[in-house]
Amino acid sequence: MNSSATPKWVAPSADRPRRPLATPITKYPPDIPGYKYVNAEEQDMSFKAMTNRAAQTLFWTELARGFAVTLGHVFKEPATINYPFEKGPLSPRFRGEHALRRYPSGEERCIACKLCEAICPAQAITIEAEERADGSRRTTRYDIDMTKCIYCGFCQEACPVDAIVEGPNFEFSTETHEELLYNKEKLLLNGDKWESEIASNIKADHLYR
Amino acid sequence: MSAFGLDKITKLFQIIKVNGGIRASLYKLYRFDDLKDGKLVGQDDFGNKYYENPRYFFGRSRWVEYAPQFNMDYDGSQVPAEWFGWLHYKTDLIPTQDKDRPKYKWMLPHTENLSGTTGQYVPYSTTRPKVEPWIPKSSKV
Repeated sequence: MNSSATPKWVAPSADRPRRPLATPITKYPPDIPGYKYVNAEEQDMSFKAMTNRAAQTLFWTELARGFAVTLGHVFKEPATINYPFEKGPLSPRFRGEHALRRYPSGEERCIACKLCEAICPAQAITIEAEERADGSRRTTRYDIDMTKCIYCGFCQEACPVDAIVEGPNFEFSTETHEELLYNKEKLLLNGDKWESEIASNIKADHLYR
Repeated sequence: MSAFGLDKITKLFQIIKVNGGIRASLYKLYRFDDLKDGKLVGQDDFGNKYYENPRYFFGRSRWVEYAPQFNMDYDGSQVPAEWFGWLHYKTDLIPTQDKDRPKYKWMLPHTENLSGTTGQYVPYSTTRPKVEPWIPKSSKV
C-alpha cells in the first residue's frame, strides 16, 4: 500500500557506504575520551626503558613504594569509628528492642486486641487477656521471644494504640537465652526507660505516618 | 607548614594540651583508645561527657567520654535514652534544647545492660498457672 512511500532498507556496500563516525578512528587503540584499552600493552623495548625496568627489579623499588604507602596510612585519619565512644548514624525509624508504652497519665496503652500477635510472621508474641478489676480490658500476659523475633516491625504497624513499639535500643545482648524471653513487666520497663527517645522518634516521623 | 604535614605535629601538641597534659592524655588514650579535641556539648546524669568536633568526619564527629566511676567497665548501653538520639546523629538538638522530649513522672532512670550481673532480667510468668498440681493428702500430717 504505502511501500512506495517508505524506502526499502539497503545493506551498506561499496556504492552505499556507512555514515561516517563523528570522530573517525585512525589508530588503535583510539584516543576517544572515555575509551579504555584493557588488554595487555606492548612493552617499550628501547634501551632506556629496559634499563629502567631492570633497575626497578634490582633495587626493589616496589617494596620501598609499598612500605611508603603503609607508612602514609599510619598518619591518616582512620576510616573506622571507635565504638562505644563514637556511634554510627541511626534513623528515627530504626527497629530495635521492643517496648510497651504508657499514656502520659501512666496508664498502659495495650488493650489486648492481639493484632500484633496475629500479624507476627515469626509468631514470637503470646498474649493472654483478662478483665481488670476496674472493668477495662488488659493483658495479663504479653510475652515476646526476642530470639524468634525477626524485627520486621509489623507489630508496631498493626498496633492501633501505639502500645508496642520497636525502640531505638540495639545494645540488649545477653549472656543467656532465657534473658531474651521478655514478659510484660520487662517490656513495660523498657518503655518507661526509653520513653524520651521513643516519643522523640515518633514525633520526628509524624509527617509520614 | 602544612605542605610537609607539620601542621599535624602542632595539632598533636594542641590535642595533648586540650586533654590536660601528657599524663592525662596517656590515661585517656588508655581508656578510650583515641585522643581527640572537641567542644564539650553536655553531660548526662551519670557524668558521661559528650563532645563534638566537625573537623572529624561524620560518624566520628560526636563522641562520649564515659564517667570516671565506670573506669574500664564502660559499655555502649551506658548512654541514657535522652542522649541516644544526639550521639547517633538522629537529631542535632541536645536533650535540654529538645522540647519534644516528654518528662513524665512514671519515667524511670536509665540502666546499662545488666546481663551477667545479679541485676539481670529473669523471665517469669505474669499469669496464674492453668494446671494446678494434685497434692495427695498425706496421713502423716
